[in-house]
Amino acid sequence: MRVRVWDLPVRLFHWTLAVLAVFSFVTGKIGHGWMAWHVKSGYAILALLTFRLAWGVVGSDTARFTRFVKGIGSARDYARTLLARSPAPFLGHNPLGGWMVVLLLAALLLQAATGLFADDDISTQGPLAAMVSEAAVRQLTRIHAYNEWVVVALVVVHVAAIVFYQGPLRRNLIGPMVHGSVETAAPAPRLAPTWFAAVLFGLSCAAVYYLVAILPPSP
Amino acid sequence: MKAFAIAACLIATTALAQERALKPESQVKLRKSAYALMNYNFATLDAMAEGKRPYDKEAAGKAADWVANLSEVPRHFFGEGTDKVGETRARPEIWQKRADFDAKMDTMVSEAKKLPHAARTDLATLKKAVEATGDACGACHDDYRRK
Repeated sequence: MRVRVWDLPVRLFHWTLAVLAVFSFVTGKIGHGWMAWHVKSGYAILALLTFRLAWGVVGSDTARFTRFVKGIGSARDYARTLLARSPAPFLGHNPLGGWMVVLLLAALLLQAATGLFADDDISTQGPLAAMVSEAAVRQLTRIHAYNEWVVVALVVVHVAAIVFYQGPLRRNLIGPMVHGSVETAAPAPRLAPTWFAAVLFGLSCAAVYYLVAILPPSP
Repeated sequence: MKAFAIAACLIATTALAQERALKPESQVKLRKSAYALMNYNFATLDAMAEGKRPYDKEAAGKAADWVANLSEVPRHFFGEGTDKVGETRARPEIWQKRADFDAKMDTMVSEAKKLPHAARTDLATLKKAVEATGDACGACHDDYRRK
């Protein structure tokens, strides 16, 4: 039976985030002429993450943290089956993948949040940098600089895992993240309506807009 | 006139630095002061370049003069061992790869010196010069400044 496992909001979120994360990394490296875009991309990522956190609480079954965040024990058990090349089937995130989601979201949230306070001492300042002390700006800028590589490392592990499933395990994980459906005997998860996601995303954008455009004192 | 006065002061200061050995902590203080003032004035130019502040030839020209003149200062205060005193983010690589550091410093100075003319030409020219100078600043920060 063909079952829809990933709702449209989760898929859109995933691919937009993937593109913006790469874009942020690249523009941050190129530097000056692209820093305005780097900053805007960070705002968009922050809005996406805010939405995803909310969707993880009130969204579709497969998007909910309570469904896919499992204990370390079950993650370890799953890892064993994975290494034995016969992973147990899970509809939605498996226990190991669930932790990947949590780590990626946390690292990206830290990256976007510290970016709001960062200052490169040349021309780029996060919108909230003016509101905290120089020492705080310095610390948060450092975290922004180091955590960047934490994000890169997590992305490498994430992509490597997908390649491992795709290759040796012959399990296509990319397809379902594109079209949303898998072949399974498991009962279909309850999916929340897309309009509800749109409302939540609108609220997330409004929250980020407040944070970066209304809250900071005008220079 | 003011620019000449500033330049004269700076030349006097740098001449002094060459004449007598400054204490390492004094060197750190002097170069950081120069960077702080460059940063302050460069922010004015950058705000105009990014459209956050209306372009004003006179204000831009003045800020650009400051940046251009100050750009000469830091290099004179990177004596051997000045990465180990006081609060500095200078990395020891500066002295291990001094030629590269100096070359990057040269680029920064030459880009900064294009600012006064660019600032008095038009916004598009200023914008280009601001980007080139910003990149030159960043080149050193990436390699020779602790995070």
